[in-house]
Amino acid sequence: MLADQTALSVTSNNIANANTPGYSRQTVDLAEIAPTLDGGLLVGNGVQVEQIVSQSSSLLQTQLDQETQQQSKYSSYLNSMQQVQTLFNETSGNGLQSSITGFFNSLQQLSTSPSDTSLREGVLTAAQNMAQAFSSTAANLISQQRSADASVTQSVDQVNSLTAQIAQLNGEVSNANNTGQNPGTFADQRDQLINQLSGLIDVSEIPAGNGSLTLTTTGGANLVVGNQSFQLTTQADPTTGFQQVISQGTNITSSITGGALGGDIQVRDASIPSILSSLDSLASNLETSVNSVNQAGTDLNGAPGGNFFVPPPAGGTGAALQMSVALTDPAQIAASLDGSTGDNSNLTAMLNLQNQTIVNGQTPLNAYSNLVFQIGNDVSTAQSEMSGSQAVAQQIQNQIGSVSGVNINEEAANLIQYQQAYEAAAQVAGVINSLTATAINLGQTSTVTG
Amino acid sequence: MSVRLNPNVLPDLLTSIEQAQQNQQNAIEQMSTGKSVNNLSDNPAAAAALVGNDALTSENDQFLTNISDVQGKMQAADSALNNAQQLLTTAITVGAEGANGTMSAADRQALAQQVQGLQQQMLGLANTTYQGVYVFAGTNVSAPPFVQDASAASGVQYNGNSGVTSVQVGEGQSVQTDLPGDQLFLNPSGSILGALNDLANALTSGNGLDAANTEVQQAFAQLNTQQVFYGNALSQLQNSQNFLNQEQVNLSSQQNQLVGANLTAIVAQDSQDQVDLQAALSATGQVLNLPNLLSYLK
Repeated sequence: MLADQTALSVTSNNIANANTPGYSRQTVDLAEIAPTLDGGLLVGNGVQVEQIVSQSSSLLQTQLDQETQQQSKYSSYLNSMQQVQTLFNETSGNGLQSSITGFFNSLQQLSTSPSDTSLREGVLTAAQNMAQAFSSTAANLISQQRSADASVTQSVDQVNSLTAQIAQLNGEVSNANNTGQNPGTFADQRDQLINQLSGLIDVSEIPAGNGSLTLTTTGGANLVVGNQSFQLTTQADPTTGFQQVISQGTNITSSITGGALGGDIQVRDASIPSILSSLDSLASNLETSVNSVNQAGTDLNGAPGGNFFVPPPAGGTGAALQMSVALTDPAQIAASLDGSTGDNSNLTAMLNLQNQTIVNGQTPLNAYSNLVFQIGNDVSTAQSEMSGSQAVAQQIQNQIGSVSGVNINEEAANLIQYQQAYEAAAQVAGVINSLTATAINLGQTSTVTG
Repeated sequence: MSVRLNPNVLPDLLTSIEQAQQNQQNAIEQMSTGKSVNNLSDNPAAAAALVGNDALTSENDQFLTNISDVQGKMQAADSALNNAQQLLTTAITVGAEGANGTMSAADRQALAQQVQGLQQQMLGLANTTYQGVYVFAGTNVSAPPFVQDASAASGVQYNGNSGVTSVQVGEGQSVQTDLPGDQLFLNPSGSILGALNDLANALTSGNGLDAANTEVQQAFAQLNTQQVFYGNALSQLQNSQNFLNQEQVNLSSQQNQLVGANLTAIVAQDSQDQVDLQAALSATGQVLNLPNLLSYLK
């Protein structure tokens, strides 16, 4: 009866937790009690609960965690990059193409009448628009980079809070195992938290005996060992100002490859810097080339041409953000080569830059359209990786469900089975009681009723 | 024992619903923008190709504007030269009249004054401006190219230069838009201004009229020869214009191929998505209402 009662209580616990996330159904292992020798005969001694077992698969759980790391990484990567790609969205007319082409078109227009002051003003306006477009695109990229940086700090805080809880649960699981109890509830909670942790950072799970798990990043930095957690800290990089992730004094930023942290770090330290560097290279090469052509010519006042744009910083870093027009007077555009006001030869030279490979072996527009392709392709690749990862994760979820999920019908059947066994055992007790009463009442006038 | 299945099928069903809704949203976006590529990631190669396509379209628009600006300037020059022809025709008539032996000195004087008037008008034509720019000044466009100078044989001094202007009217294609003024009005093989000056002098003095008349005729012939340049250039501009207009149509159709939405296909896909969504919703509804064993254990 006691065994059946335990089984009933496990079953009802399963039903109660049917919708608890991460709960693994528990089963009861019933076993015969060793028989005793009675008058030369082996007589059975009934049933006992040998153990209560949580039905879970640590292998599937680990696979799920790995998929979660991938999925969260792509998700946070896409969060930023989908906003980045709108900065270059040529399909909706947002993008640098129109302002670059606009600048060269204004030069074309001026070439039809190089002495026309209003056309010269048109060139300065178009140049200012182009500089503004480069500068605001770069500023928007930097602001995306900063928001990824802010996410890094938040994620590190969450990682620390999770590893502290996991370390505590690690202790509980070991204790339960040491005292021969079912650690299932603690292990389920720990699995849930490890899965949440996987959403933030790449995690390796190493069984450490006694049900305890050692957690490290895939790069090998300790997160949880036994019942102790290792806090991550952040520290601003002296040059970039971006937060670096520090584990026990070591900078592990570049080795973090999974989870939201992995995605944010990739956006902040790789993707956006690469886009910015392409933009800088485009801006600085355009500025330098236009400047040197302008310097080779003569302006409307007959003076030698000067810098058209404010010269970009040496090396080009920051050129897009700082792009600005140096000329203030439309007459300073050096359209002429021979000094006459109607000569457009130098404008032609400036126009020809459009078709010259002045940006790392490419024409300005080709360099830009390659950048557009690169960004679109990165986002599109991440999107397919993410949906692939989602499909795999769902498949694993289903497998986990098939092992650990509570099936109400199955539990209902168990319930009836254990209920009937309990009733039968109670009947047996009743019969024994009645037999005992009969025995006690033998030869008595007063009777004991069973 | 049968294979144990995941008792919780809701996540699968919810994913289907989400997927169907996502598909519908994409279809709606494509229908509302008329474009199949609304983000770079929808089709990175098409988006990159679009950059080139849009730039070409915009450059061609500029070439078309260039052509119409240049046409304006060249038509102004061409019509000035037509007027110059008329002036020379008049000068030829006047010269022939003056060569008539019965002319009195006073009559020749009157003719000489008439030719001097023609000279002034011709000088005005040689200093024609278009939008504030002297069109027969070479590239020295800011000052009048021809000024009177009694000491010069032609009676004028040329302050322009021999520069010419070329303007791009297509990818790698440019058109020379002018001839230097001295080549037109002071050409050694037939100087218009020189001939008119000589004619006026001959009429005044009564000497060398025949030679002066020959000069005017040579100048007339030379002007006709030079004017062919403007006729050719204007027709070249017309050709470029036609080509660019056709090119714009091609670019626009290419753009449509790159990023245009196939509305028929989208509408068909959308109704399919609608069916999928209905199916997923109805399956989910049924699963939520399925009885379990406990329902029968009463």
